[in-house]
Amino acid sequence: MKTESTKDTAEYYKHLSVFWTDLIHLMSSKPQALSSVGPMRNFAENAKKISKELIDANDDLVEFNNSLVEYYKQLTDTWNEAQKKVNFKVPEIPNDPEQFDAYKRVWIDIFDNDFTELFDSKKFGENYGKLVTKELDLTKHWNNIMNVMLHSANLPNKKEMDELYKEIHSLRKRIAKLEADSRGKPKTKKETDDGNVW
Amino acid sequence: MATFGETKIDPKILEEIIKFSKNVTAAPKLVAAPDEIKLETTPYDVVYKEDKVRLLHYKPMTEKQLQTPLIIAYAIINRYHILDIHPKKSWVKNLLEQGLDVYMIDWGTPSNIDKYLDFDDYVNGYLNNCVEFVKDETNVDKVSLQGYCTGGTLSAVYSALHPENIKNFVATAPVIDGWRDTTVVSNLARHIDVDRMVETIGNMPPEFMYYCFSILKPFEQGVEKYVNFFKNIDNESFVDNFMRVEKWLSDTPPIPGELFRQWIKDIYQDNLLVQNKMYVGGKHISLKNIKMPLFTQVAIGDHLVSPECSMPLHYSVASEDKTLKIYPTGHVGMIASSLSQKKVLPELGQWLKEHS
Repeated sequence: MKTESTKDTAEYYKHLSVFWTDLIHLMSSKPQALSSVGPMRNFAENAKKISKELIDANDDLVEFNNSLVEYYKQLTDTWNEAQKKVNFKVPEIPNDPEQFDAYKRVWIDIFDNDFTELFDSKKFGENYGKLVTKELDLTKHWNNIMNVMLHSANLPNKKEMDELYKEIHSLRKRIAKLEADSRGKPKTKKETDDGNVW
Repeated sequence: MATFGETKIDPKILEEIIKFSKNVTAAPKLVAAPDEIKLETTPYDVVYKEDKVRLLHYKPMTEKQLQTPLIIAYAIINRYHILDIHPKKSWVKNLLEQGLDVYMIDWGTPSNIDKYLDFDDYVNGYLNNCVEFVKDETNVDKVSLQGYCTGGTLSAVYSALHPENIKNFVATAPVIDGWRDTTVVSNLARHIDVDRMVETIGNMPPEFMYYCFSILKPFEQGVEKYVNFFKNIDNESFVDNFMRVEKWLSDTPPIPGELFRQWIKDIYQDNLLVQNKMYVGGKHISLKNIKMPLFTQVAIGDHLVSPECSMPLHYSVASEDKTLKIYPTGHVGMIASSLSQKKVLPELGQWLKEHS
């Protein structure tokens, strides 16, 4: 649980970052206008977005770590419990190959059962879900930062590529429908001799 | 008896350890690297292509074939190679030898551009186009359709939407009832925020599936299996089979984001398919529309798709002619093992012959 003071500190640093990047931008905008078409100018304008993302990512990183710690705790607890069961069942590690194989079998069966029980449990599923969610949140921050950098370099970013993929998908569907309509039956595409697909 | 401080160790154990170490050292000389192994064993022609999907037509092995061709819709996880992984364990080869005309759908490797492909594209697009192609090519009105694992789900949806095209439906370990699934995979699927996943990363990365595989019997599969591999390094047949299956396991393509989203939500989280509440491409899916003969195969030891998840198909369809077969094996054992060659496939072949 995040305390009020942690929140205030994060908000303060976010404000501080935005304030100075904005102010520096305002103070320096006129002389730098000469380089307004270059990537560095573009990047400077977007730098505050990167600062903001990094500060927000920090919050998510804390939550990610909490879930990760819980994840490893669940694994460690299960391991310890399974080992206790093995020790109870076979107090001493046998000293001949045949009995050692039997010991190994017991060890594997108990560990597999206990870990499967863990992986099948609600507490594991819920924490795993949170862990993945927080990892995705961090990925989103990373994507946003990359978007700013790509935009600065006048390259298509993820959002723009997604729009393109969506448009291509929609076009594929429209073409398939037109082909099917023109044939009066569901579309098929046969390979031609030169390997092109029609 | 060798002694280490207070501990006495049986010389036989030392001998085992030394032998094991020698086997580990000798392994690279005796075993081909995964990249050097070719998984496909039965010859085929690529007869149809659409985007990244290919339809393979296997060369016949008998003078005459059954009149109704069989299309196999493989799963969207891993690749179709498991159905033809070794001449002695090939699902495809066995069916060809029984006189079937076999086609296989290879879904290909989706990339970012395919992230918007959804259930509708797979069922009413690719699968339907493959069926129409085979109907044209073989001059039949209906085909037999077999779906394996997640391919079984796609095939069930297809059979419900296009029953006029399907003469016989074979469902092999199909994913049908997500709420009844007792596997750890379904537990994870129920707890992930799939919307956030698809919006953030697009296609489901293969690594996510590898994680799911790694928590299935982690000690048997992650430790014991490899110990056995090194112990049996001199056994050519064992090693060959091991490496083929390992190569297959480590080669799963990404799943298109939108398809994955609907899959997780409609099958595992909301369980819409078996409740006849699912929609694909705006069309309502009712399993009651499946009235053609149905042959369902489940494995009692299946840790990927539990029998409780697959069997509801048998009870949800309207088919009068339906058979449910339960085999004492696992998810892969049902399709690529000596049991599948001796029992599973002869029973399937016989059923298809009777229904062709």
